[in-house]
Amino acid sequence: MSSVVLPLVFGVFFGFALNKAGLTKYHKIVNVFRFTDLAVLKFMMTALVVAMIGLYGLRGLGLIEFPNVPSTYIVGNLIGGLIFGVGMALTGY
Amino acid sequence: MKFILNYIRKEEWSPYVGGVLLGLVGIGAVWASDSLLGASGAFENLAGMIGKWVAPAAFDNMYFNFIMPPGITWGVWLLVGVFFGGMIGAATSGTLLWGKKGAANSDAQWKRIFGPQAWKRWALAFVGAIILEYAAGIAGGCTSGLAISGGMLLAPAAFLFIMGMFASGIVTALIVYRKNY
Repeated sequence: MSSVVLPLVFGVFFGFALNKAGLTKYHKIVNVFRFTDLAVLKFMMTALVVAMIGLYGLRGLGLIEFPNVPSTYIVGNLIGGLIFGVGMALTGY
Repeated sequence: MKFILNYIRKEEWSPYVGGVLLGLVGIGAVWASDSLLGASGAFENLAGMIGKWVAPAAFDNMYFNFIMPPGITWGVWLLVGVFFGGMIGAATSGTLLWGKKGAANSDAQWKRIFGPQAWKRWALAFVGAIILEYAAGIAGGCTSGLAISGGMLLAPAAFLFIMGMFASGIVTALIVYRKNY
């Protein structure tokens, strides 16, 4: 039950935030690569900072444990990122 | 109260407000269900499920058996939620284009660069999405699942991925836009 309802609720808020920040639009995504509109960076970095503070704070209080952290394999992460950027600039994902 | 309601109806929020909301969702996902907000993995789960059904031999490999197990996972439901969340967002600001004229290719900047044809928009989106999904498979996540969710756990992978993503994104935009850059 909670494995269906919870992700649905999180997803709705996730999609809502993306839409309201304008990140569902092609020009917002591609303009960050042209340095004419930095909304994507502002959005990503704010989310990162808020979540970092919250997660590390909660872990410090012993309330949560971290799930499996994405594994680091330098070449794969970098090459994946390099290919990903091409698709991102083309589609505006 | 009225201020909040008015803000919800606004079409474009400050990215900082949206970012705070996403940050809170990210914390909630780890706290309540011990999961990261991955979006690209869900497509692989679904593709794996269809693949196991259509061509079980071809999909009987390490990747689909252990790394990306097929099925209706947490991430698939998250993705369904994202779809409706985006629609709700557009509906509350009155910009939902569902079924309206010009909805198939609605971005003014896209039309200026590539032309007004809807098939071009969809074809490029299809090709680009294949590139995206393939790259996300190599890197171990996409913008949300690796860059943001991994970054908030301070995973080095996330920052390597962001570096690669911006480096090639800038080059691609340079090539596509040329003198309009």
